Amino acid sequence: MGSLLRLEIARTFRNPVSMVFLIGFPLALYLLWTKVLPVSAGTGITDFAAYSMVSMATYGSLGGALFIGGAIALERTGGWLRQLAVTPLPGHGYVVAKLVAGMLGVLPSIVAVLAAGAALGGVRLAGTTWVVLVPLIWLGVLPFAALGVALGYSLAGQSANMAMIVVYFGLSVLGGLWVPVEALPDGLRAVAEYSPAYQAGSLGWRALDGLAPTGTAVAVLAGWTLLFCALAVWRYRRAL
Amino acid sequence: METAMRLTDVRKRYGGVAALDGVDLEIRPGETVAVLGPNGAGKTTLLSVALGLVDPDAGTASLLGGSPAATVGTGRVGALLQDGGLIDDVRVDELVTAVAGMYPAPVPVHEVLTAAGLTEFATRRVHGLSGGQRQRVRFGLALAGDPRLLVLDEPTVGLDVESRRALWRRVRERAALGHTVIFSTHYLAEAADNAHRIVLLARGKVIADGDVARITSMVGDGEVRFRLDGADRQALNRLPGVHAVQVDGTAVTLTTGDPDATLRALFAAYDGVRGVRTAGADLETAFVRLTGGEL
Repeated sequence: MGSLLRLEIARTFRNPVSMVFLIGFPLALYLLWTKVLPVSAGTGITDFAAYSMVSMATYGSLGGALFIGGAIALERTGGWLRQLAVTPLPGHGYVVAKLVAGMLGVLPSIVAVLAAGAALGGVRLAGTTWVVLVPLIWLGVLPFAALGVALGYSLAGQSANMAMIVVYFGLSVLGGLWVPVEALPDGLRAVAEYSPAYQAGSLGWRALDGLAPTGTAVAVLAGWTLLFCALAVWRYRRAL
Repeated sequence: METAMRLTDVRKRYGGVAALDGVDLEIRPGETVAVLGPNGAGKTTLLSVALGLVDPDAGTASLLGGSPAATVGTGRVGALLQDGGLIDDVRVDELVTAVAGMYPAPVPVHEVLTAAGLTEFATRRVHGLSGGQRQRVRFGLALAGDPRLLVLDEPTVGLDVESRRALWRRVRERAALGHTVIFSTHYLAEAADNAHRIVLLARGKVIADGDVARITSMVGDGEVRFRLDGADRQALNRLPGVHAVQVDGTAVTLTTGDPDATLRALFAAYDGVRGVRTAGADLETAFVRLTGGEL
């Protein structure tokens, strides 16, 4: 399995499409939100540059985690899993390699947006806060990796990618990653509190103020992770 | 001694169609066996069940004495699948390296590249390869683990003449080392030239199973056509090898299991024979005859 993992990591870090999509897009949105559009007005957020930096780092890495499943759907449809099924690779070897390589591939988008925050957004934080932000954001998007795997084993090829784009944008907007939840209507805001993207973002947002994750955040993220993992395992078993 | 592959009363239906309809097959270690049949005969389903990719509706399959999936997991099996996909965004040598690394005792990568004829495009990405080149990559992946049992589903599809020859040369090399090779094809010549034993499959059933000489005499009929005035059906039917005679005016067609012997006797017996042509009967025709026209 080590040999497949090495190959998957190499693929992750040289895929120009995902690197542009997962680094370029959040970076562009970050600059748009903080430099061009007056999104911060009326949200009551004092350091909007830092807040938005965390939002966009979460948004980019969330996409990276989710789209692990897009590759799974394409490769499954293309017959690669049948090819692997006649090698000694254990049944779970493929999905583990995809998850590990995919989650490593998430790190550059976190680092890139944080670097842009420091260099272009004028964000100034304590050294320990910078250090803590990376693993917090990274852990926060774990449920989306599980969701991506579930979708990847449920849908074929391009329809999986379409579904993921809908889920990606829908959950990101609902979770206040594009526009803070304070700007959402009251009803939606109440729902947002229990959405995985909002709670993933909350880990970083609270860290900006030196606060630990709330119990609710941990519970909500753990709940979604368990649910999506169960879904992924079920779909994975069916797909074999 | 354990068998290389054993199928016992294997049945598999897809929708209303029986892809495999009670197949019994036992292959001993070291045999080179061709599974021969027309398209839709069930060859791919048979190999898929044997490899544990498809669960049979009834019956059992075993590979090298164990369950197919468990045996594949030990790395003693290499397989080329018709619908095995490759990933596009990696180089050929990277793909071979990754797959070889899954096996306990792989062949060194450069040897796989040479054996499967991949050296010239080893550093190219898979997505730029032609169909024939992809097929050679699949063959390379099947060889990468140095398997004792090699299973090849229509391995020469899409290959040019030169690549076909090279592939069969490798297959015969492995057979000479005592490895077991099982392949499917719908070309009689491929089966006859490269296997010791041929299993004839039609409509999901084994309709014949035996050494190459026996099966080719059953399947490999030739036709001898010529012109002859006043042809006598009965007399022509008694010529060696002949088992069917058609007479249409002066045009005569003999179906024969031994064209050489038939021709020698024909020229000896008849001075007026002219315009002689011979042709091999095609496999489809032979199968229609063997299965009583039920194809």
